[in-house]
Amino acid sequence: MMPLLQKVYDFVDERIDLKTLEAKMMKEPIKGGSRWAYVFGSVLLFIFIMQAVTGVLLMFYYIPSADHAYASTQFIIHEVDYGWFILSYHFWGSSAMVVMVFAHMSQVFLWGAYKSPREMIWLVGLALFGIVMAFGFTGYLLPWDQRAYWATTVGVEIMDKTPVVGDFMARFLKGGPTPGQMTLSRFFVIHVMVLPGALMGLAGLHLFLFRSAGPAGPFRGTPEELKAKTDFFFPRQVWKDIVAMAAVFLTISSLALIEPVVLLEEAKPDPGDYHPEPEWYFLFLFQLLRWKIFSGELGQFLGATAIPAAFMLLLAALPFIDRGPERNIFKRPIALLSWTVVMIGILVLTVSAIINREFLD
Amino acid sequence: MSHPATTISSVKLAWALSWAAFWTGFPFKMIVALLLLAAQIHPWEGAGLIALLALSVPIDIWALGLTARTFFLERMGIEVRGPVGIGLWWQGAVLGVVTLGVAYYAVGATAAVCKKATAATLELVNKVIPIPVAEQITIELLMWAVPTTIVAIMFLLIGLKLFGWRIKRFAVASGQTSSASLQERVREWDDWRVPADSILMLVSFTAVAVLLTVAFWVLLPVTTTHRHPDYPPPPTDAVKKKVKPEQLLKKTDATLAKAEAVLELLEKEKAKEKKKPAGPGK
Repeated sequence: MMPLLQKVYDFVDERIDLKTLEAKMMKEPIKGGSRWAYVFGSVLLFIFIMQAVTGVLLMFYYIPSADHAYASTQFIIHEVDYGWFILSYHFWGSSAMVVMVFAHMSQVFLWGAYKSPREMIWLVGLALFGIVMAFGFTGYLLPWDQRAYWATTVGVEIMDKTPVVGDFMARFLKGGPTPGQMTLSRFFVIHVMVLPGALMGLAGLHLFLFRSAGPAGPFRGTPEELKAKTDFFFPRQVWKDIVAMAAVFLTISSLALIEPVVLLEEAKPDPGDYHPEPEWYFLFLFQLLRWKIFSGELGQFLGATAIPAAFMLLLAALPFIDRGPERNIFKRPIALLSWTVVMIGILVLTVSAIINREFLD
Repeated sequence: MSHPATTISSVKLAWALSWAAFWTGFPFKMIVALLLLAAQIHPWEGAGLIALLALSVPIDIWALGLTARTFFLERMGIEVRGPVGIGLWWQGAVLGVVTLGVAYYAVGATAAVCKKATAATLELVNKVIPIPVAEQITIELLMWAVPTTIVAIMFLLIGLKLFGWRIKRFAVASGQTSSASLQERVREWDDWRVPADSILMLVSFTAVAVLLTVAFWVLLPVTTTHRHPDYPPPPTDAVKKKVKPEQLLKKTDATLAKAEAVLELLEKEKAKEKKKPAGPGK
């Protein structure tokens, strides 16, 4: 290390015991060695940091009022230097975050990494999943165009179907009979203050719990084999994480360049020619609600609330139901079949919603 | 004792090398693609595609060489002499072209047959249980896509099997088995990759990163190229009209002189009017 850098390092080390911290952070043993399958958590953290950076840059120009939200977003796109790219990166970054959460949860599920002693990591992870979805939901309204307005209207209507708390939640979020200034203010505050705070706290807890329990490691191999292949977090896993982060960053940037954000008309209470629909990651639920069996009061409640809530409860209870020590997914046929059915179901419904959109247009 | 390379499955060997090489080279190709996109050149067509493919060749050779050496040493205990990347790359490229060519026709034929069979099956099912149109299209898509994908995977496995067979031959011909333990081999490989002058390496790496970042922001359009209909681009005439300071100053001087002359004239006229004797009073 260069003498100056060494001096700075020594100065900091003397005061905060940097060497111990470095040893703890970088010398975490990874049973069975580094893997590409372990990159999702780090990538999620990276996407969140990038969302925070681009979000702050956007806030320099964005005005969260019903009169100016649309105009200020258009100003960002058309007048601010590179504003269009920053906004488009933020837009595609939110989708990347949802995709990565799904990938991360799938990896943990398939690897059986939610099992004892990692139940708490799984539960906190589920809460983080909820926060990521809430980020997408609240952020979607902010540009205040027809797409934003109607996606929120549909989302709040779905929320309204929840018994007991649904009405309160919908009224609290809307702040009036129809989405307006109060809705925008509330969504903005939740998006830029409440959710980032909650995410930072829970992500910290998630990491702390992960470091306490240690990585689960591969589901194949005897303890002796895994011990023989044990590697430290640095340098191999760090390298894999960096490569994955670079790939994600470049993918999001490419999407922002290929398909930059173009707003529709300014939000108004009349949808006109626009067919309201939620964001793409809620499309499967939207399509499910179009089925005949989910029509009517009871049907809407079942499709919009009961089934998703039951599914989330099942996921939360998973480590306590599936208590067997077996982690190999190929020796857990029910788990493998369930994951496949859920994934195919989400895929079929999402594609169906997109096809339906073509018909409606 | 059999050679370590002959004990592993050809498919597994080819997959392990190709998968790792793909991800190793991917970020570098993405950098090229991103710079092309920033310069408004599509990397999936025309000159952009040619540039990307041309730059992908050395990246792939390097990535394949790096991952193959790592795999041979760590998993098989084989040290390979001479260039690895180029030796494996050309064989993989030839096999890839042949396999892809055959697969293109086979997969196309399978898709055509499956589409017909699916349409007939769904027509029958619809007579018994009516399915909503959107779901019907999705199910139809799945029904012909699944067997077609299986055929495509079969060709992928055939390609991997052939490539794995070539890799094995290469490893047997050019590799020497090492008697060192796994930890020793890994350390040796890591040491080999660490440059002698790490500061120079770090500085070069940072310089390249800074250069690429600057190139990206220079190439990136400052304002959007996808304008909203309500926000037309500023009138081009106003932008094109260049300001010439000398001419502007001359013009301003002339205008001021003209204004001064008019003012002077007006003041003279006013003075004349004041000098005129007052008319007879009542």
